[in-house]
Amino acid sequence: MSMSSIDLTTPTRQSARGLILIFLFSFQKFVRAFWPLFLVLVFQNNIFQNQRVVYITILVFVVLLAAHTILYYLNFYFYVAGDEFILKKGYLRKQTLSVPLERIQSVNTKQNLIQQVLDVVTLEIDTAGTVGKELKIHALSKAYSNALQEKLQTEKSTKKWAEETTDEKTEKAKEETLLHLSPADLLRIGISQNHIRAGLIIIAFGMQLFNQAQDVFQEQADKYSNEFIEFMSHSNWALITFLVIFFLLVSILFSLLRTVLKYFDFKLFKRAETYRIESGLLNKRNVIIPHQKVQELNWETSPLKKIFGIYHLVFKQAVSGQNRRQQQQQLVDAPGCLKHHLERLKSDLFGEDKLNEAPRIYTNNFYFRRLWLLFGRIPVILATPFFYSEWIYWGAALVWLPAAAGYCYLIIKKRYFRVNNNQIRISKGAISHKWEQMELHKIQAVEFKQSIFQKRRSLASLDLMNASGTITIPFIDEKFAKQLYDYLLYHTEISKRSWM
Amino acid sequence: MENFTNSVVLPGNLPEIEPEKFTGLNRKYLTVLYARILIVFLILAGGLIAFVSLADETVPGKFIYLIAGAILLIISYSVVITTLGFPKKGYLIREKDVSFQRGLITYKVTSVPLNRIQHVEVNQGVLGKILQLSSVKIYTAGGTSSDLTIPGLSEPEARKMKAFLSGKISEHE
Repeated sequence: MSMSSIDLTTPTRQSARGLILIFLFSFQKFVRAFWPLFLVLVFQNNIFQNQRVVYITILVFVVLLAAHTILYYLNFYFYVAGDEFILKKGYLRKQTLSVPLERIQSVNTKQNLIQQVLDVVTLEIDTAGTVGKELKIHALSKAYSNALQEKLQTEKSTKKWAEETTDEKTEKAKEETLLHLSPADLLRIGISQNHIRAGLIIIAFGMQLFNQAQDVFQEQADKYSNEFIEFMSHSNWALITFLVIFFLLVSILFSLLRTVLKYFDFKLFKRAETYRIESGLLNKRNVIIPHQKVQELNWETSPLKKIFGIYHLVFKQAVSGQNRRQQQQQLVDAPGCLKHHLERLKSDLFGEDKLNEAPRIYTNNFYFRRLWLLFGRIPVILATPFFYSEWIYWGAALVWLPAAAGYCYLIIKKRYFRVNNNQIRISKGAISHKWEQMELHKIQAVEFKQSIFQKRRSLASLDLMNASGTITIPFIDEKFAKQLYDYLLYHTEISKRSWM
Repeated sequence: MENFTNSVVLPGNLPEIEPEKFTGLNRKYLTVLYARILIVFLILAGGLIAFVSLADETVPGKFIYLIAGAILLIISYSVVITTLGFPKKGYLIREKDVSFQRGLITYKVTSVPLNRIQHVEVNQGVLGKILQLSSVKIYTAGGTSSDLTIPGLSEPEARKMKAFLSGKISEHE
């Protein structure tokens, strides 16, 4: 990363190659807004009596879009002035966005296929406030984005070092690679994905296609689906087995494809108090995760993952906006971590693991009865009036009830937590096993919940909210829940450490 | 599962949150809650009447009675729950946190430490304006799930609360 060649303080426009990108983006936006109109125009051929009108319309449209692109490009620039990052844009309505450098949490980049060809990146500036969403630059040269990332990071870390007076850290920290996924790793990760979920996505997608096709080709579809049902009802077990295997293979291929697209050449780096993730094939991402912004560390393994000894890890960061989409973007994950990677990251974020010394506190057995009622007994009871005359219903109920019981048993066996003076780790899951760990001073609010059924048994549940989500502790002893509640408040109130 | 053991070392003698110490909401707020139920009732009843009078065929009487009965059941249930649940609602401001409790069937208390408050807002709806009631909304960084709304406060009470909480925010900055 060479930062000397680029002067961040002079107002800079996006890369000239970005003109193509802006044009395409505008085109896409325009088409998205007006596609019903296009459809009408295309299908009602009589509107175009002569082809000339068509050509002229297209020409006018392209010229207008090109003019917009050039004006947008010329009026879009950004620079660093003093300790602020400033972005100006717009030609009809001029807009100036400015954000103090110290408020910037992280600078992330993304690159889709076209951007990879043009060698430009989308830069997203993440701030503690809400302006962040608008601070996006879609066609930035890589050199500039590197220089800006560098500048912000050194700014941040020098400030941090000035605050902490430890001598060891004053040398300029080098970037260290913690995890690099090879193609073989990707294969393992892809194979150990949740194929049931992938399968459901395929089915949902297929159904949607089928529905749409059905609307268009109503008659043929009816014929085919009838044939299909007839075929299915006459076919033997061998064929069904074949179909299941075929379906499983498609699911695995689908999972593999998704894994490769998302995690191709995945790298996790650490430098000073930040992680950096680089990954992706068609859409590349480059995300910076400051340690202090991590509110919760989640990790998960499943029977398939256990075979390979891998964990899927998620850094849950503080989210400023309240919409879900933004929240999902903030979820940054690392698949295929081995045990030692996990331990390393845990010790980076939480220090020495003293939670193992704390006892496991399990959820109460009554939680099992509540779950089984919800997943087992109520569905069966609700279905009774419709099927009571059919023998297959009784057979299904006879299988469903113990299966649900088994499932709920798995849930309650994994549902426990450990807590000590400054951290908490909860364990949950059914088939897969998940853990969520947080430092107690990251708490934003606490909630104590007790239904009348819980009260009769002196039980209660707790919710611990942090800036990335909620950790739930269901069905524990009421007295202990109250004690913990009081302690969590006390700890958060006296803590001098900032949550971000 | 395993027998519960309380071997986690939590400091003793911490201040407890006691439900008795909470301040109840202004009685006038009950009127607001009843008014809300009335509006729901009017919408449901209006919907039923519109459906019966606009339907092409005559709707069987049995069906009308069934739906009307269901509506009445839901409404009377809401009235009972609201009336009995009202005394459970209340807030508590301590030196270092603010709490709100509610819930008849599921009792809930939420507490927000004062050093985690982002900003505070006083809101007033149409009914609130007539009855001179306000609500105080406390925002944290935890998003919607941990934001705390304390409704049913008299206007001066709400103003005082906001002033107190805003003062605390600047202290922590």
